[in-house]
Amino acid sequence: MSEGIVFNIEELTMHDGDGVRVTVFMKGCPMRCSWCHNPEGLRREPELLYKRIRCASCGACTNIPCSHDECKPFGRCLHVCPNDCLSVAGERYTPERLAKKLNGYKRIFESSGGGVTFSGGEPLMQWDFISEVIDLLDGINVAIETSGYADGEVFKRAIQKLDFIYMDIKLFDPDEHKKHTGCDNELIKRNFLALRASGKPFTIRTPLISGITDTRENLEAIEKFIDGAAWEKLPENKLAGAKYAMLT
Amino acid sequence: MKNYQALKEYILTKKHRAYRRAVDVDLAAEYSALGLSAEERMTRRFEYLCENETPVVLADERISFLRTLTDIPHIYTEEEFAELGNKHRLHELGFHSNVTPNYEKLLRHGLLYFKNSTDEYGARDIDALISLCDRYIAEARRVGNDEVASTIERVSRYGATSFLEALQLFRIIHFALWLEGNYHVTVGRFDKYMYPYFKADIDSGKLSLDEAAMLVEEFFLSFNRDSDLYPGVQQGDNGQSLVLGGKDENGNEVFNELSRLCLEASGRLMVIDPKINLRVSKDTPIEIFELGTELTKKGLGFPQYTNDDIAIPALIELGYAPEDAANYGMAACWELIVAGVGMDTANIDALSFVKMIDKTVHEDLLTADSMDDLLSALKKQIEAEVDTLCKNTDGLWFIPSPFLRICMDENPDGSYKYNNFGFHGTGVCSAADSLVAIEKYVFGDKSISKQELIDALDSDFEGCPELLHKLRYETAKVGQNDDDADKYLCLLLDIFSSSLKGRRNCLGGIFRAGTGSAMFYLRHTDGIGASPDGRRRGEPLGANFSTSLFAKTGGPLSVISSLTKPELKNVINGGPVTLEFASGIWSAEDSISKFARFIKTFINMGGHQIQLNSVDLETLRKAQEHPEEYDRLVVRIWGWSAYFTALDKCYQDHVMQRQVYGI
Repeated sequence: MSEGIVFNIEELTMHDGDGVRVTVFMKGCPMRCSWCHNPEGLRREPELLYKRIRCASCGACTNIPCSHDECKPFGRCLHVCPNDCLSVAGERYTPERLAKKLNGYKRIFESSGGGVTFSGGEPLMQWDFISEVIDLLDGINVAIETSGYADGEVFKRAIQKLDFIYMDIKLFDPDEHKKHTGCDNELIKRNFLALRASGKPFTIRTPLISGITDTRENLEAIEKFIDGAAWEKLPENKLAGAKYAMLT
Repeated sequence: MKNYQALKEYILTKKHRAYRRAVDVDLAAEYSALGLSAEERMTRRFEYLCENETPVVLADERISFLRTLTDIPHIYTEEEFAELGNKHRLHELGFHSNVTPNYEKLLRHGLLYFKNSTDEYGARDIDALISLCDRYIAEARRVGNDEVASTIERVSRYGATSFLEALQLFRIIHFALWLEGNYHVTVGRFDKYMYPYFKADIDSGKLSLDEAAMLVEEFFLSFNRDSDLYPGVQQGDNGQSLVLGGKDENGNEVFNELSRLCLEASGRLMVIDPKINLRVSKDTPIEIFELGTELTKKGLGFPQYTNDDIAIPALIELGYAPEDAANYGMAACWELIVAGVGMDTANIDALSFVKMIDKTVHEDLLTADSMDDLLSALKKQIEAEVDTLCKNTDGLWFIPSPFLRICMDENPDGSYKYNNFGFHGTGVCSAADSLVAIEKYVFGDKSISKQELIDALDSDFEGCPELLHKLRYETAKVGQNDDDADKYLCLLLDIFSSSLKGRRNCLGGIFRAGTGSAMFYLRHTDGIGASPDGRRRGEPLGANFSTSLFAKTGGPLSVISSLTKPELKNVINGGPVTLEFASGIWSAEDSISKFARFIKTFINMGGHQIQLNSVDLETLRKAQEHPEEYDRLVVRIWGWSAYFTALDKCYQDHVMQRQVYGI
């Protein structure tokens, strides 16, 4: 049985598909985009998040000798903060447990035409797990937000099983792509062609990063390549700064 | 040509206040020396105030009437009032409040019509008001505002024949009711009783939609002329609530073109009055929720939504006639009342659920052998408290208001059809969370002994940070869609409402249970210690029907899933789910559509009432530091929207605390 690592389950997310949605953020990503707005989704391992805004600098988390196993990797006690500043991003789920949780929203999804969106990190890194979850869902609409950077076979299997696909094409030029994301984009381009051939509904997304992805050359090249496919250009996410500060 | 924008600027910059003057006369001493009756005093005072009001007609206005007297002298001396308090149970200020006049009949007939059917006092009030109207007409002629002159000429005596006349007559009556000393005088189902005038003018071509929109805006502006003079717990708490939409007596949807203009006008004006309430149901189209959400996005803290599917059957079950139930409106905040026939006192007192937990833990926990034992003890505690609360309402008496009586629908014997009393219920989620903790740790895994828990609470968790953390952050809470916690929410509300069933109040009415908190979210933590949900001593409770301030909820969907589990028909005195969102959410293009669907889903799930606050914590912090730069910043308090900087700091802080845990 597979196990998934989730760093957040967020309700009533915006910009993640139709209707009222719940977005499951899967932890771990092969890319290292310089502008990433979900830094806690990059590594697969659990990480400590620290909410500075609430911290009273009381020192309780470091002063108290603590014997909890789960606190050991972090060198701080997770169970004493009076203001709940500390939390761990990265919770293990069995498919059954996650599906049960998501099925709990069925009435809300039915009433609002919504559903579940898997995001990340890169959700396709944990496709086998997600696939098992989908098998256990009770007729719920499932969308994905993927970088498109995934093994071609995995990608094809995945899109067959999903109701809607949001896929990024961030940079068209291979060198630029490599420089700013750490990955080659050949795989992404191939996966895009497979997606278009699949007949599944999808939208291509390009995050607009000043001086990197929002250049005229890049946007024109992408436009030409996707050739009339649905395309959204997303403004830079201003929240990223706050979240980096939360990672200790 | 009138310049509405100039008028708006004039009022919003408070220039009209230059016409005000204080009242320097001791009416109470005079009335007391003469030994006058309450009715006589109220009438004399009303006559005095009408005579001493200065008619002010502004060049750019189409709807007139401005309060110029800053205060209303009391009709009783302090000694007399204290004596009245000994003799009767007085509610708040002693005057009538939280009422909705029957505007339908008032607009149709005008004032003269009622002279024959009212008593001597009412007739004198009508004469006094008409005479003030006549002075307004003369003043309007003097300043050359002939439109105002001829509008008032018609409506003061004979009722409205056009939309403008109906709005002007409403304004005169609203003005007069506050002048009489009544407060929290609400607007009721505006788009229902006003629609015939609006439609006739639109259909006949007398009025274009744009002109009507402008009139609605000017009319809404009129609610902000005198409102700082109205009594309330805080500035903004003035009860000028207006109801739109919902079903009529025949089950048809009321929402119409005028309702739409009202929502749009409110969004353009961006002021806190009137407070918009939307009646909705599972039949309400999504577009109406989207229009409402546009207002929420603007940061006005309203509309507040009430679900007809729950409210109407619930009121019928409480004994309201079906046609009255269908016609419900809103008291000052969210308490359901019916225009004309409802003399309910919907906010007569409040049950503190956390106090009940506090008492039960201290008096019954040590002797309880099981959770069931403890719950039986809790039930007895709540029943005893409810009994006390009910007894405290005995002898309720209001200072009579002869003019208000004209505006309502009295029975021939002077009584009213509905005289029900409503109780708020504060901190129910904190109480439910406390019960989960006790069940789990005291009777379940026994990781905390009874005495340990009591000691921890009494010491405000001094020296037990791990226990505090466990109770506060690691235990099931209402708002997580977790049945372990939600079952206690259901149980507590059930005990509350069943303990009121079958009781009669001193006016022959019934008692209604509710989920509102009003200002008790602060006051109900006085005199009790910490609670077993990890709430520290003095920490405030959630506003109305909301999760505890520090509960780690699963998000808004989990919150509404938890809060729609109880049988909400049984707590229909009112009290909305109150949700807080950071204003950043609105930057997403699809936010209007998402939130509209979210509210509709809540309604479909059987929620009774909901309101959304959308503010930016950083802005609130700055506003506390530099209030002078943020005088128009609006927040939702408990059942009304306010200018943040006009609030006492404790209420400012509570709004901010609600936000902090949302991040």
